[in-house]
Amino acid sequence: MSEPGLRIHDLRASVAGNDILKGIDLTVEPGKVHALMGPNGSGKSTLAFSLSGHPGYVVTGGTATLDGENLLDLLPDKRAKAGLFLSFQYPAAIPGVKVANFLYAARQAVRPGDLTPAKFRALLVEKMELLDMDPTFLGRYLNDGFSGGEKKRLEMLQLAVLAPRYAILDETDSGLDVDALRAVGESVRAMRDSDEGRATGFLIITHYPRILHHVKPDAVHVMVGGRIVKQGGADLAELIERDGYDKIREEIEAIA
Amino acid sequence: MPSSLAAPVLGIVPENAEALVQRFETSPLLRAARSEALAAYFALASGRAPAGRYWKVDLDALDLSRVEVRAETTPPRIAATLSRGAIACDLATARRAHPQLLERALGTAVDARTRKFASLANAFGNTGAFVYVPAGVSVDNPIEIAYAAGEIALFPHTIVLAEAGARCTVICTLEGGAEGSFVCGIDEIVTGERASVSFASVQMLALGARSLFTRAARPGKDAHLAWAIAELGADLCASTVEIEIEQTGVDAQIAAVFCPSGDQHVDLVSSVDHRVGQARSETIVRSAATGSGQARYLGNINIAAHAQGSNASLRDDALLLSKKAHVDSVPALEIAANDVKAYHGATVGALDEEQIFYMTSRGIERDEAERMIVLGFFEPVIDRFPTRELRERIRAALQAKVG
Repeated sequence: MSEPGLRIHDLRASVAGNDILKGIDLTVEPGKVHALMGPNGSGKSTLAFSLSGHPGYVVTGGTATLDGENLLDLLPDKRAKAGLFLSFQYPAAIPGVKVANFLYAARQAVRPGDLTPAKFRALLVEKMELLDMDPTFLGRYLNDGFSGGEKKRLEMLQLAVLAPRYAILDETDSGLDVDALRAVGESVRAMRDSDEGRATGFLIITHYPRILHHVKPDAVHVMVGGRIVKQGGADLAELIERDGYDKIREEIEAIA
Repeated sequence: MPSSLAAPVLGIVPENAEALVQRFETSPLLRAARSEALAAYFALASGRAPAGRYWKVDLDALDLSRVEVRAETTPPRIAATLSRGAIACDLATARRAHPQLLERALGTAVDARTRKFASLANAFGNTGAFVYVPAGVSVDNPIEIAYAAGEIALFPHTIVLAEAGARCTVICTLEGGAEGSFVCGIDEIVTGERASVSFASVQMLALGARSLFTRAARPGKDAHLAWAIAELGADLCASTVEIEIEQTGVDAQIAAVFCPSGDQHVDLVSSVDHRVGQARSETIVRSAATGSGQARYLGNINIAAHAQGSNASLRDDALLLSKKAHVDSVPALEIAANDVKAYHGATVGALDEEQIFYMTSRGIERDEAERMIVLGFFEPVIDRFPTRELRERIRAALQAKVG
């Protein structure tokens, strides 16, 4: 295995014939938290879906490897098995499929046979307590009739239960309430405190810096127009919170 | 199976009509009735659309020349825990022991003289079951009626009579059979005021069989009636279910699930007839077609001009799981009253790629994701079947079809 990390090099992708990603370079190391920020329409979610293998997103160039494995050749389920996880901004509702059955199927898929059903149940209970989730969640249909906050909690529960090597949290435009934001923050923290999740690398995609009050990033990348235009530490997020994206836009225009 | 060495089968064709009835029925009185019913079968039109590009069966020209008709069959297996005068027995026993009770319900929900396949079922009726629940009596455990098809054509007639305030759950299953098996039956439910009847019809015949059913209910005032139907087996299955609302306060539900796979053809017609107002009905249908499976569904809701205050809903969703599969879905609402609530919605479509992507992004393989989504899609209807065990059996049968 070559160098560890979620390594994205010169990634280009299009949606419905429109070029959105115009050469993205980004590396998320194990155990690190990277924030990807940018104004609406800059291509942040496109990056997330391209890495996860959504059929509507066509990669037209570049590479993406997960701990040395070429992600772009893999079907979405194989990418998950390789250790990639995407928390959806708008997860699909699947009526008739119970949360508990779905979670078990997913855990079995990414870590076959590592837990007996009883142990899996115990793990669920533990993680749900951590996320302050009612046990009746397990009997409900997947995201069916869920509020925005409930969907977010379920995404976080999946993150906790699947304990991926790299997690992309797409928080782009979500009008999350304070509780849901806290849930995201707490679940990332809990992951980093757990044995399974200590080495998990995070890419948190966000428009508003609010979420970063709950999770302190090791690095911040700013994306505009399908390119990463600025990189820095946590202070860059604070700068954006104060000045918005206009200042960065001005800087880029001044250079160009 | 008939072979060239055995005696030739006296098939159900017009030229055999007299000989068939002569051989089938010894009582001269009943012979006349059977002859009349058979003549009606030959004369009546099915009312179903003809064969077409996908649907290959002409229900008005079924080839019954190799159907073996005999009077003797094994009665259904009936399991019930009864008390306080409740009855669950085979039809022959009911005719002997409870003729007056039977008479009050038999033929009162299904008017066989106007129904092609009900006429056929009456012409050769050779098995059946009768359930009777006296006024105010509640039968707690489900009453199970199990028909097993064999080489002999089966013409079952199941009758439920629930008196005022009576409550019962009836599970009627049809299984067995082989290539060439033929079943043509009638289910009738008649209730008094405030009765509550939950009836499940589950057809799981072997492939190669044909199944034709006429089902109807007449609920009494303020009665609750839930009819859950699963048409899962047989090569050809054509059935109708009809609820006639002639009393106020009725709460009627029809839930149906079917999933033609391979070369199966499923034709289902549901009708709810609101003849008086202040009553509620709900029809919910979930279907999928895979392989070269063909289905057609016609969902009728009629609300008469004076049936003000009716509340009727019809929801029908179908999934197409292969290129050759086909589902025709036609909701037909005829509303003559002006103060009613009526809702209908119908969808036919392929699986949702966003749902599949969501599941596969969690590591679940595409085939497994599709299977889970399809089985989940059936759940709202599966949920309407009365026991956990029955729901599990239906799930397993559906899983085998879509897996």
